[in-house]
Amino acid sequence: MVEKRTLVFLTLAMIIWAVSISGLAGYFYLQNETHTQQIGENQQSLNRTASNYDKSMSKYNTLLSEYYVLYRSYSSVDANFTLLMGPFGKLMDDLGGNYSLLLMDHEDLNRTYYTLEEGYQMVYQQDNITSGNFTKLLNDYFELFNSLEIRELSIVLSETVTLAVSVGINYGNQTVEWHNETVVPAGFSLFQLTQEIATVDPRYDPLAKPGHIFIEAINDKEEYIAHHLGYSEGCSWLWYYWDDNKQDWIQGPVGCDAWMLKDGGVYKWSFEYWRWPP
Amino acid sequence: MRIHSFKTRKLALFAILVALCLAIQLTPRPPNVEFTSFFTFTVGVVFGVFYGGFFGCFVMFVNGFLSPYGFAGLVMPFQMVGMAMAGVLGGVYRRLIPERIYSARFCTETAIVGAIIALIYDLVTNVGVGLWFVAGGTDFALAMLIAIAYGVFFSIVHILSNTAVFGILTLPSIKALNDLVGGGKIG
Repeated sequence: MVEKRTLVFLTLAMIIWAVSISGLAGYFYLQNETHTQQIGENQQSLNRTASNYDKSMSKYNTLLSEYYVLYRSYSSVDANFTLLMGPFGKLMDDLGGNYSLLLMDHEDLNRTYYTLEEGYQMVYQQDNITSGNFTKLLNDYFELFNSLEIRELSIVLSETVTLAVSVGINYGNQTVEWHNETVVPAGFSLFQLTQEIATVDPRYDPLAKPGHIFIEAINDKEEYIAHHLGYSEGCSWLWYYWDDNKQDWIQGPVGCDAWMLKDGGVYKWSFEYWRWPP
Repeated sequence: MRIHSFKTRKLALFAILVALCLAIQLTPRPPNVEFTSFFTFTVGVVFGVFYGGFFGCFVMFVNGFLSPYGFAGLVMPFQMVGMAMAGVLGGVYRRLIPERIYSARFCTETAIVGAIIALIYDLVTNVGVGLWFVAGGTDFALAMLIAIAYGVFFSIVHILSNTAVFGILTLPSIKALNDLVGGGKIG
């Protein structure tokens, strides 16, 4: 016969076991619920991405077809460039209309669009439109068109993908300010990232490409340039990316607004002295 | 005179135990592996229900401000109540100990009591955490479920460590302290 005291302690031990197991069951139930909900949200997000991708591609194909019609006329032997300016103007309007939201939100692309628009107006007012003028307009248009589409696809992708990048700002006075594991949407350019982490003063250069943006100041540290007889010198903001294969910093080959960030990428702004010619 | 000297001795021992317990409690250690409930229970057994409850309450009050994990905030009152219950259980257990009890059995019993104290303490503090979620707008039942379920792994560590600590340390500690305060024979 088991005594009463033993039974009490056995019961207590059972209660401890039962409560612990119930707690564990509750934990796994909650985890399951959370994961199910997350899977549902991810699926919705993927569906939305697929739908937006379809819309974007449909728009791209329509504009590309319009461009193709104009390009065929342009490349014919007896092309009259003055007559082609009308269709080109319509192409510009369609581009602006289709990517209006994107142009509103992205200052760099907006500037490029209006520079092209100004270029178009200037050529349009000329009496004799040369092949060279029209070719430049067409090339600039096509470049902008592709930039807009890439940016739009990046935004579509950013609904489901985010990037974690690190960026450092070297002020040139032994001070390096690092922003590690900064989370940004996919499709962010280095320019957009820099705007997120610091106060920047950008300069737009219509002649530079790819990328038209130069950074004149970061967090109030301004570049300075001095022109002397036969040479120039100064300190400017240059950007670098870390090359994992070479294990070295590589100087940015394009404008910061044209450089798309990659997940896990490491970037650096550096305030450096330069002299030209070296 | 004799009575006064006995009280002083008891008070000094109580103060030393508070200091010792606080020193251990405030030392960085693995989460939920603690000796405070053991000390509180022991004080409850040796000094009685009231002192046991006060001991647990006071230690957790100080711990709430000085803990290496940071200020306890709104959970502190629940920690104090939870730990006070350990002291009260010590006092109650003292009254229920039979005149003769084998050491092995005593150790087994205190190990189970240690586990139940850990369980009660965790439930009480998890309710505190749950109320914090409720204040943030979460439904009451869901808040409690979340607080208890997400604390379950810490709880299991607490229960296991308390089982070991109580099972191993309670008997020698109670005997030594009981001799010091001149209390009656235990077991």
